[in-house]
Amino acid sequence: MIHVRKLKKTYSDLQQGEFVALNGIDFDAMPGQIYGLLGPNGAGKTTALRILSTVLKPTSGIATINGYNVVTDPAQVRHQIGFVSTNTAIYDRMTAWEIIRFFGLLYGMSADELQIRMEAIFDRFQMNNIRHVLGSAMSTGMKQKVSIARAIIHDPPVLIFDEATSGLDILVAREVLKTIERLREQGKCILFSSHIMSEVHRLCDQVAILNRGELLAEGTISELSDRYEQPDLEELFFRLIANHEQNREPVNALV
Amino acid sequence: MKWSNVSLIYCRELRDQLRDRRTLFTVLILPLLLYPLMGISLLQVSQFMREHPTRIWLIGADHLPEAPALLIGQQINPELLDPRIRDLLHVETNEEDDSRFQGLIEPFADQTPQPVSEMIDRLIRRGMQHHHADLAVIVPNPNPISPPDTSGGDLQNRILLFRNSASDKSNIAADRFKAALGKWQAQITGSKLREYQLDPQLLTPVAVIETDVASRQNRSAALWSKVLPLIIVIWCLTGAFYPAVDLCAGEKERGTFETLLSSPARRDEIAIGKWLTVMSFSIVTSLLNLISMGFTGFLVASRLGSGMAPAMGIGVPPLACVGWLLLALLPISALFSAVAMAAASFARSSKEGQYYLVPLMMISLPLMMLPMLPAARLDLGTSLIPVSGLMLMLRGLIEGKYQECIPFAGPVCAVTLIGCWLAVRWVVRQFNSESVLFRSSERFGIATWIRHIMRERHDLPSIGHAVLCGIVILVLKFFVGTMIEPPANWGAFSKQTMIILIATVGTPAVLMAIVLTRKPLQSLKLRKSRFSLIGAAFLLAFCFHPLFTWITSIVIQLYPPTTEMATTQRLLDNILSGSPGVWAIIAVIAIAPAVIEELAFRGFILSGMQSIRSDFKAIILTSILFGVAHAVFQQSIVTFFVGCILGFIAVRTGSILPCIAYHAVHNSVFAFIACYGPSLVDGPFGWLFSCPDGIHVTYRFWPSAMLIGLGGMLLLWVWEQGSPNSPATALWKRNRHRQESFTFWTKRILPPPEEH
Repeated sequence: MIHVRKLKKTYSDLQQGEFVALNGIDFDAMPGQIYGLLGPNGAGKTTALRILSTVLKPTSGIATINGYNVVTDPAQVRHQIGFVSTNTAIYDRMTAWEIIRFFGLLYGMSADELQIRMEAIFDRFQMNNIRHVLGSAMSTGMKQKVSIARAIIHDPPVLIFDEATSGLDILVAREVLKTIERLREQGKCILFSSHIMSEVHRLCDQVAILNRGELLAEGTISELSDRYEQPDLEELFFRLIANHEQNREPVNALV
Repeated sequence: MKWSNVSLIYCRELRDQLRDRRTLFTVLILPLLLYPLMGISLLQVSQFMREHPTRIWLIGADHLPEAPALLIGQQINPELLDPRIRDLLHVETNEEDDSRFQGLIEPFADQTPQPVSEMIDRLIRRGMQHHHADLAVIVPNPNPISPPDTSGGDLQNRILLFRNSASDKSNIAADRFKAALGKWQAQITGSKLREYQLDPQLLTPVAVIETDVASRQNRSAALWSKVLPLIIVIWCLTGAFYPAVDLCAGEKERGTFETLLSSPARRDEIAIGKWLTVMSFSIVTSLLNLISMGFTGFLVASRLGSGMAPAMGIGVPPLACVGWLLLALLPISALFSAVAMAAASFARSSKEGQYYLVPLMMISLPLMMLPMLPAARLDLGTSLIPVSGLMLMLRGLIEGKYQECIPFAGPVCAVTLIGCWLAVRWVVRQFNSESVLFRSSERFGIATWIRHIMRERHDLPSIGHAVLCGIVILVLKFFVGTMIEPPANWGAFSKQTMIILIATVGTPAVLMAIVLTRKPLQSLKLRKSRFSLIGAAFLLAFCFHPLFTWITSIVIQLYPPTTEMATTQRLLDNILSGSPGVWAIIAVIAIAPAVIEELAFRGFILSGMQSIRSDFKAIILTSILFGVAHAVFQQSIVTFFVGCILGFIAVRTGSILPCIAYHAVHNSVFAFIACYGPSLVDGPFGWLFSCPDGIHVTYRFWPSAMLIGLGGMLLLWVWEQGSPNSPATALWKRNRHRQESFTFWTKRILPPPEEH
């Protein structure tokens, strides 16, 4: 499970000076649940997921995965998660089999255990035809399959998907979403970030809407619909973002 | 660190690189093709490297004697020429020219040589162009070998040569003709001596016979020992750089680095795995280059001429030479791979990474060239210089000087290992740095940058500001130092010293403190200090002075001063002897530097360095800059240690006032010793000083040891009494406290890790 409390991240930039990418967000994601992070570009979704995957360090606040703190126990956290992102590419000069084997060994799996697990994953994802294909020769869909296979090779309890269907055609995207659903059925805790409403609507049990590093709303889709009296998720999203932007303007004018 | 992860990453990177066509071509294929192609080009070009004929326009050929003959027909006497150029020196004589230039050449016959007038010069030049001649020769005397007329004018007969020094062909013609003239003159002298019934051998009473006693193997080793280390070092760096850029910047660019960072591999495991891969490629590149170059070179040399290769000492390198090279490949590659990785890890793209190759090469080049100098030899001093020490050691081992090399194997290996360790640590640091891993292209503009500086101003300087200030000081010192003339007297010396100190050291630090920080006085550590601390610093300088005198003498033994440095020192002594008095010297070389240098180094720079939250590192880094700012290498080492003491005082007291006191006393004592010299021994300080050789004053051992012990106690007292709440120290301690409280609350709020 994932606990996030008052998570804050600031960057220093030549153009904008110091800016806040995440401004003290809180959320919890439970096993057997897909938790959706929804927000426009620059909302802070990727920053939050990078912190949870221990690639970035938070400026302040607390984030734990299965009880392990991302700042104090990064090594343990990495064993608990599988991370798939648009930024986590696969190696061009390695075959699908080699890539997944490499990461399996890094996770400390024994050769026998790894062989059995890899055979099962290659069968399940129907990847046997690309077993010996180099990353550079794979299509985008194939690459995404390999990425997911790489992320679940060590059977982690928590999976983090950052815009996992971005740039995929509709057939492959559908297949990826089905895979994520299957993983939920296995009791995994899944954090899923996207800006595609239909995907979030279809997959997520809980949703958090982010804008400019702030968490605007959190709950199940039906809860959010009731709370904001807006049955359509897309319309709800637009209203929340628009209201937030409007409220920010007087503050900016004062600053 | 898990070595199984390092091994996994190493194997993956190696396989990845071996599948990269570009790397394979640069590292493996290029060396094999490059040298044969260069060999073919050399053989093709060699046909254009033959000797070219040259043409001489000779005026007054009729004046030349028949015996011994300089000219035979239109050719120089073949006996006077090297057989290789007999057909390459053509002479043109023309009776018409002789009569035309008669009036011109007559004045040269019996007058003292005058500079050739512009008119004659122009005429001769035009004549040379007309005759397509490379050299014009005038024989003005009717009989140049007859005894000259000594009644007036010149005692010597003369032949005048006119050459165009801007033309290589003309210079070659002149050299060839002068060689022939030399032999001709020897023939004339010989015949004259015989005429007077004297033995011509009187001119060469001793015959010099030179024999090279070095064996062919030694000759070959001597040649290879100079050439091979340089080649191997250059190729180690080149072979390391491209894989390093691909493995660091390339991975960031391709997006695979984030995948690896989110895996269980630790940053140091990733860095070491990649470093070992780069090292493997560096070794293979060097080896292939050596093999390919050696084989091609030998073939080309044997093709160019059977006698040429042995004459040049080129032959198959001795087996021991190859063995030492193979052994040295490991540390050289390790060092350069680590350095290349350190540069490449900072780059955000392969393109940016490749820009770093040239500066890296430029920095390494002086270290690579130093061992090539004939005077360079391996001693404790040179063995401590990275790269150079290693190359000198390799050179010595190839030449078979094992006795000279083995004592320095320890320092050479230690320096190389430290270099590798520092570079790999830097790489790990870069892999941990978010600003390096995820920085994107930022549009740069002066206005944006200035806005950024003003917006981001903090109370105290950052480490970036400190480093910038140090670099500005070094650059300004370099330019001002090279532009001004050395002072001739005390007046000029004192003015120059003050101007240089204010312009190059004080002004940058004060300006940067005002512009870049919100609290300039705190940034410069201009705070009140207790008188007891200032007094302690004053005494401390006295007590530690013998220690620094000993360090100076050790440094001078390690790195003896050059002749130029000794000359400069003598000039300085002369200037100081012309000063109005010792107090003037103290004002200029003790008090002024103490105030200005402390403002810059222990003030602005140390405050900036303290932002790294480690007083120890801040003091060391500031002292390195302080040392480098003193241009003389030997002085830099000593000032580094002085800088450490000053840094310690500044950090503990939070003020530069005690540092100024220490610095002023330290420099003043040196000035006193320089001024009073041996007379100190007879004065009230006789218990402290001795003068064994009657010239140089040294400290007596036991009194000095006691003083140093007293200094140690004073230092402890400063440690105890000094208030550590200087603005910079307090700031980073506040931050550290925040960090600790963050960890403290993290541990308490969160539930313990679940068992899995």
